[in-house]
Amino acid sequence: MDEKRRRFEAQVLPHLDAAYRFARWLSNSSGESDDVVQEAVLRAFRGFDALRGSDVKAWLLAIVRNCHSTARRQQQRRGFVPLPEEHDAEDGDAMVATTPDPETDTIRRDHACILERLLAELPEEQREALILREVEDMDYRDIATITNVPIGTVMSRLSRARAGLKTRWLLGIEGAPRAVR
Amino acid sequence: MQCAERLRAQAYFDGEVDALAAADMERHVETCAECRTLLQDLGRMRTAIRELTPARATPALRARILRALDDEVAVDAHEAAHETKIAAPRALRGRSTWRTRTFWTGAFGGVAGTAVAATLAFFLLLPGLGQPMLDELVAAHVRSLMPTHLIDVESTDHHTVKPWFAGHADVSPVVADFTQQGYRLIGGRADYLDHQRAAVVVYQHGPHIINVFSWAAGQRSATKNTTRSGYRIACWRAADLQYCAVSDTGWDELRGLLRLLQTLSADDLKN
Repeated sequence: MDEKRRRFEAQVLPHLDAAYRFARWLSNSSGESDDVVQEAVLRAFRGFDALRGSDVKAWLLAIVRNCHSTARRQQQRRGFVPLPEEHDAEDGDAMVATTPDPETDTIRRDHACILERLLAELPEEQREALILREVEDMDYRDIATITNVPIGTVMSRLSRARAGLKTRWLLGIEGAPRAVR
Repeated sequence: MQCAERLRAQAYFDGEVDALAAADMERHVETCAECRTLLQDLGRMRTAIRELTPARATPALRARILRALDDEVAVDAHEAAHETKIAAPRALRGRSTWRTRTFWTGAFGGVAGTAVAATLAFFLLLPGLGQPMLDELVAAHVRSLMPTHLIDVESTDHHTVKPWFAGHADVSPVVADFTQQGYRLIGGRADYLDHQRAAVVVYQHGPHIINVFSWAAGQRSATKNTTRSGYRIACWRAADLQYCAVSDTGWDELRGLLRLLQTLSADDLKN
């Protein structure tokens, strides 16, 4: 097989799940994310020769983000706004209990659903910073590179995302300002 | 009222400050209840977010992307070769490149491919863990992430995982569940590395899988940390075993597990 293709599969495709996760969090929808990720991987492949010694995962996520913005702009031109998919058919399997204790599991799942909704409700620039930090484990410098803003902006977005999440969490779950559980 | 140190407390939490600033922050937190609460909240939020079921690219999407890449490669090759102005029918083109790809994946997935790579590694590895070995570790890690490749023996109990290795690998590494510390033992696997049956202990940390490979250390042992293809690899040696942990998690997280395992090895030796 083609040498470029081989290197690409070895270096970039391991991050496909991360790319998909990130696209899902950006768009809050799965159908759209498939297209965004496919487009991002193709663009990555075309630009692969130009990639020199930088962090492959951060590079791929930056491309995913660009593709997402492009798709979003096209939709806005067409006046199309996707509805959030609450009961995604593809997620069916993930919702099947794997622990023997259904009650605890139900509570945990409820909390997980609420948390996912609250994350989805955060402003996009705050959500992406938080997801890159907590889920993809990127440091401030990587987040700044991917989202194309200074590190100080990353810090304030993270701080606002976290404060916003806490406030909504308290309102949503406990109804009164107490500690996050 | 907001403490002026909020952003610095957050940076401390995210591991973005140096040792001096960290010590400063630890002193500050002793007297500032607001920052103390903030750090607790950040910790709880991180745990909650990392416990969410991570979305994964479906096999259908993966296949679709590989096909799109096939087409892309075919177009590239076509343009480069200037063979003919009439492109081969898309379906045909797709099928031929698809076969190559499947062969490649299959070869890499199979023991034969690994054995060849291991033989290569044997000759090229002097004296440290060289590039082929690291590539092989990453390939083994990636392969493990494919459906049904991750775990041979599924258990969160080290009394189940450790004895299993006796019959399936050439070494008996340290195994423990560190759920309390955030590293859940999810099982074990046998893999073929460096001419021997290596034992692999699989841990889950948030959405990340960490494969801890271990095999009998030879002349060529290494205790360094490195990054290959975006994966982090931490290697260390304990007694006569070579360990390498591979993951897409951050260095701090990887080092956390490394420290736990090293402590365990040290305790094992004493007993």
